[in-house]
This record gives sequence, C-alpha cells and structure tokens, in this order.
Amino acid sequence: MDQDIITSIRVIPMEHYLMLSFLLFSIGVAGVVFRRNTIIILMCLELMFNSVNLLLTAFSAYHSDPRAQVFVFFIMLVAAAEVTVGLAILVMMKRNVDSVDVNQLNRLKW
Amino acid sequence: MSALVLLSVLGVLLLYAGLFGKRTLLAPLGIIGLLATMVVIRSGWMMNVPLVGAMVRFDHFGSVFGQALTLITVLLFIFGIDYYSRVRENVAEQYALIIFSLVGAVLLISYSNLLVLFLGIEILSIPLYILAGGKRDSFRSGEAAFKYFLQGSFASGFFLMGIALLYGSTASLDLATVQASAASASGSAHMLYLLGLFFTIAGLAFKVAAVPFHFWSPDVYEGSPTLVTAYMSTVVKTAAFAAFHRLIAGMELPGAIQTMLVVMTLLTLFLGNIVALRQTQFKRLLAYSGIAHSGFLLLTFLGSDPGAPGVLFYYSITYSLATMGLFVVLTLAKRSANGDENIRIFRGLYRSSPWLAIVTMLLLLSLAGIPLTAGFVAKYQVFLLGIEGGYILTTAFAVAMALVGVYYYVLVIREAFTPREQAPELVVSRLNWLVISFCGLAVVVLGLVPELLRF
Repeated sequence: MDQDIITSIRVIPMEHYLMLSFLLFSIGVAGVVFRRNTIIILMCLELMFNSVNLLLTAFSAYHSDPRAQVFVFFIMLVAAAEVTVGLAILVMMKRNVDSVDVNQLNRLKW
Repeated sequence: MSALVLLSVLGVLLLYAGLFGKRTLLAPLGIIGLLATMVVIRSGWMMNVPLVGAMVRFDHFGSVFGQALTLITVLLFIFGIDYYSRVRENVAEQYALIIFSLVGAVLLISYSNLLVLFLGIEILSIPLYILAGGKRDSFRSGEAAFKYFLQGSFASGFFLMGIALLYGSTASLDLATVQASAASASGSAHMLYLLGLFFTIAGLAFKVAAVPFHFWSPDVYEGSPTLVTAYMSTVVKTAAFAAFHRLIAGMELPGAIQTMLVVMTLLTLFLGNIVALRQTQFKRLLAYSGIAHSGFLLLTFLGSDPGAPGVLFYYSITYSLATMGLFVVLTLAKRSANGDENIRIFRGLYRSSPWLAIVTMLLLLSLAGIPLTAGFVAKYQVFLLGIEGGYILTTAFAVAMALVGVYYYVLVIREAFTPREQAPELVVSRLNWLVISFCGLAVVVLGLVPELLRF
C-alpha cells in the first residue's frame, strides 16, 4: 500500500511538483502583499505553508525518506498555533479600530 | 535536554502560581528557576542526552550562550518585579510566555537539525507575538503585535520554503550533511541548494533585523511594552545570531551567498546608523541602533576565523547588557514624564540623580564603542576579524559607520547633562537600581578586563 502511494506520487515528474508549489507559494506571497483584508492575508499565509508541505511530501517520496513527512506534521502544528495567535490579535485589533483592514495600522511610523 | 525540560516546567509552574493568585511569588519563582537552569547548563548534567533523535546538541557553544541568555533573562525578571507591579492583569501569563520563548532560544543555540531550527524559531516567536500585544487597551501595542505577527509569519513562510529546498537538494535535514553538501551539489541540485540557502538566510535575517528585512523592528520596538522590547533586543537577538552562526559557520559558503551577506552587512550598517541620526523617540533610536549593531555582528560571519564564535559571544552579550540597562532607565524616565518617549525626557537627569546619569552615559558610550568600555573591545574584535577575513573595504565602511553612530548616542548623553529648571523626579526602586548598576559596571569591567567573558 505505502509503496503504491510512493510509486503513484512518482508518476508525475519532480519538476511539476516544484512548479506547482512555487506557483502556490507565489499566489500566497502576492496575497499577503497586495490584499488589504486581514482574513484573506491569514489565508494566504496558510497557502504559503501548505505549498511547502506539498513540496516536502513530494521530495520525501522521491528521496524514499520519511523524515520530511514528519516535518510536514510539525509545520501543520506550528501553522495552527500561529493562526490561533493571529486570530486572537486580530480580534483585539478589531475591538480597537472596528475594522480588519491593514491600512488602519498606521500610527507607528518613522 | 534537562535545561529544556526545566524551563518548560518552570513556565507551567508560573501559570499555576498565577492561577492561584500568588502574584508576589511569580518573579522570585522565575528567578530561582532560571538560576537553577543556569547551574544545570553549566554543570552539563543530563544535557547532552540524545533524546530527540540527536537533533539537539549541547556543545560548548550552546552551553556558553545558554548560560548568558538565562543570566540576561534573570536581569529582565528582576526589572519585571517593579515593572509589573503597575500592571493588574495577566502578569503570570506574561512571565510564563517569556520563559516559553526562552525555551525556543535554547533550542536555537543548540540545534543540529533543520527541523529543530524551525521549531526553535517558532517557539521563540509565537509567545513574542502575544507579548508584543501585552497592553490590551493600547492601540499601539495591538498594532505592534499585529505587524510583528504578519511579518513574522511571512518570513517563516520563506524560511520554510528554504528548508524544503535544502532538503530537496541534499535529501537530509541534518545540519552537518546540509553544510557538507555546499561544495558537492551540482547542476539543478546546486540551483535548489542556492535558492534554499538564500531563503533560509533571509528568514534568519528577518529575526536579527538585518536590512532589507528590518521593517518590523522600529514599529514593534516602539509599540511593545518596554520590558518586552528589552527582551526582544537582548535575548531574541542574541539567540537569533547564535542560530545564524550555527547555520553558516563551518560551511564553505557559495559565492552568491557570500555576496548576499556582504551586501546585507553594508546595507544594515548604512541604514541603521543613518536613519538613527534623525530619531527623536528614544525607543525608536534604540531600535535603529539595534539594526546598526546587527550590521556589526553580521561582519563576524564574513570570514571563517575560528575565533568568530568568541567575538560573536562577546559582542552580543555586552550589547545585551548595555541595552538592558538603558531600557530600565527609559522606563523610569518615561514614568516621570507621563509616558513621553522623546529623548528630551532625559534632560536634567544629572541634577536629580547623578549616579543614574553617569551609568546611562557609560551604557551609551559602550553602545557607541568608546574606548575603556566593553563596546569598544567588541567593535575592535569585530573589525579585526573583518580585516583578517580579507574584507578590508567592508570593514573600513563599518568603521566609518561606527563613527557616525557616536553622534546619536552622544546626543542623548548631552540631554542627560543639560541642566533644566524642573529636573525630572525619578523614583528608582532598589531592584531597578541593582539592575542598572550591574549593567553599568559590567560594561566598564568587561571593557577593562575582556578576559572575564571568555568563550
């Protein structure tokens, strides 16, 4: 069974996984940079993390090495912890300015 | 290993103490726990146990940095007794979060696997996002927390991408294997390796606030509670630099990455020092001074001298001691000025409390790198390292920038010694006096006898 999954992952060449995860990563980066709604930004951060997960899993199958798959679990865990804190901070901000627009954050500047 | 367990348990204990309303117990408990951790790290008891698949290695480097980091946190906790006596809610949580964040710092100084490097950075950062927003009703604190969180996670994304690419080209997460592959990788694997190293270094550069990844630092420093800012600019910065050192020391850096480091060093030195010149808010001034000092610390990465870790240690610890003292002084001055942070609040300090003014002067002179203080010895060693590594022009530029830097520190000293009609009334508690005097004496003694802080 496990071998089946690995061979089926390997049907698609590595370059394609690489391109796909770069694409997803770029979409995430673009979202964080250009969108103003904080919820969307959080989603785009998740997209960045998940593109890395995809890449690690593909590499793991290609190297026949399970360690990277364990790493993926850690990434999921950390991403969950991070988004928990992020949402809490977001709620705090919403209470202060009654908005989730990042452009509201402009009181601190040089 | 035992230090990690001890610190984690200490954090939980602090939370329990808070739960049962034992507020006066918090800081003493934390200080005792931290001192115990320091003793454990020093004695090496159960430290080098290969428990988590030998992914953490407490070598000499980790042990020395571990002791220094816990010592600085002890100073921070002593300062915290007075600082948190004015805060009503969630004090235990804040102490516990500092301890949890310190666990991440200990992982960062002792990792030997990229997975632990990632976990260390996240364990260090996630409590900090919360701590930055510690003043719940303050808009600026919330904004600092949010900016730190967004930019921190963004940087983590790049950092993770870097680790994935390094893994892809070397088929291993082990630090030694990854470092050894620097020379052997070729073709498309080499391309992946370069890109991976680039992203990983960018992620770490974010943590140490090196230009062009420094945008968060002034805003977050200014908005966060002062105690948290002090923690960020001392323990977090030192731990991040130690992690940076572990990643790239002992590695034959590819040419492109070497160039990237040099460019980053030059930009950091330039921007940190030049922008600091026009700051009038003291916290922002210290933030830009922190960026400038990151530039000097980056110089230690350029060569491949075996003395580099010692220089890095001496520089980062003396810098930490000096900034720690200054943040305590700032808190006291800010209180007497009703929350103002402009450097004008130091005016007349010499009249009201001469000792405080003199110590402030010593700390600022140490940051500026004036002879007879520790800051001078530190800068001197860094410059020597740069010249020995063959980076003569870069070092010359760093020396010029160090001279520019003297200006904005002296500006603050001048304020402290300018007489004023109504001199500020600073209330210095005995413990704060202890912290300030310790930092002030340390920078002088370490400047006169640098051997005391041997690596």
